Amino acid sequence: MSAGTRADRPVTSQGHYAGSASRFLAYAVDSTVSSGVFALALAGISYVVSVVTGSHVSWNKGNIAVAIVFAGWEFIYFAYSWAASGKTFGMAILGVRVVRADGTAVGPRHAVLRTLAFPLSFLLLGLGFAGILVQREHRALHDLIAGTAVVYAWDARAARLRFLAREAEPAAGSGRSQQENG
Amino acid sequence: MTDPFEALAQRVAERVLDLVVSALDMNALLDRVDVNALVGRVDVNGLLNRVDVPALLDRADVNALLDRVDVDSLLDRVDVNDLVRRVDVDALVEHTDVGAIIARSSGGAASEALDAARSQVVGLDQFIDRWVQRGLRRKHPAPAGPPALVKGSPIQ
Repeated sequence: MSAGTRADRPVTSQGHYAGSASRFLAYAVDSTVSSGVFALALAGISYVVSVVTGSHVSWNKGNIAVAIVFAGWEFIYFAYSWAASGKTFGMAILGVRVVRADGTAVGPRHAVLRTLAFPLSFLLLGLGFAGILVQREHRALHDLIAGTAVVYAWDARAARLRFLAREAEPAAGSGRSQQENG
Repeated sequence: MTDPFEALAQRVAERVLDLVVSALDMNALLDRVDVNALVGRVDVNGLLNRVDVPALLDRADVNALLDRVDVDSLLDRVDVNDLVRRVDVDALVEHTDVGAIIARSSGGAASEALDAARSQVVGLDQFIDRWVQRGLRRKHPAPAGPPALVKGSPIQ
């Protein structure tokens, strides 16, 4: 083992403001998952209804009731996830999470406010998301309204150590087996 | 014939020696001694070669010695953070069983794939951010993260 100064190397991205690609991909995963779960739930309901009543139920995408239920489901999906852990399923995969502007954990109030403000970023022709690119803290319109920010929650340094450990393990294992055979 | 003279001479010599020693300022004398030069003339290695270290250690009560050491004050004087910074953790993981322990304790292929994918996306984040900052001609670097999470970020 060699001793050397490693202070010049960035230790981790954990806690840094998350960039646009991570956030976009996290949203894409969430959108796919939440829509998929909703579609599965509708299919399940249709199946149960057809078994019980014998009549076939078809869900019209333009149906206002379905749209309201879908909006309610999306609200629960995002608001509950952010209030409970600061991250949705997609955010957990991409390793980002929502925090308050000062970095402390987000609470139910901020989570609900962020979820309600989230559609505004879409409604302004998507300009609400421009903040992720140009704002110094990568905060979108709904972040500014809710007083939140999105940061990296995964430890890049730990990931590198795991990578090195996996690289080193086969060599160490073969060395041990040679010693045992010898 | 000589005995009385010898005894007298000895008494005189002892008396003179006592007077000289009592008149000497030992501290002033020691101040004039060049200790470095004195030590330079001593063959320390030769001296140490003549020391029977095991016998010396056998005679030393190490536990009693350690009991007299104030470990807390000793540790207070050690900059542990600096010590840890000087450790090449990568090399430690690569060349010791610590790596194997980490590899066994962490997830398998899925975890590895996730790490790799996240690293790629973070790289893309940084690439986009770099070009946006360049396009906006920003001179001052943006804060890395919220103050509670990133040391050195300005408190708003």
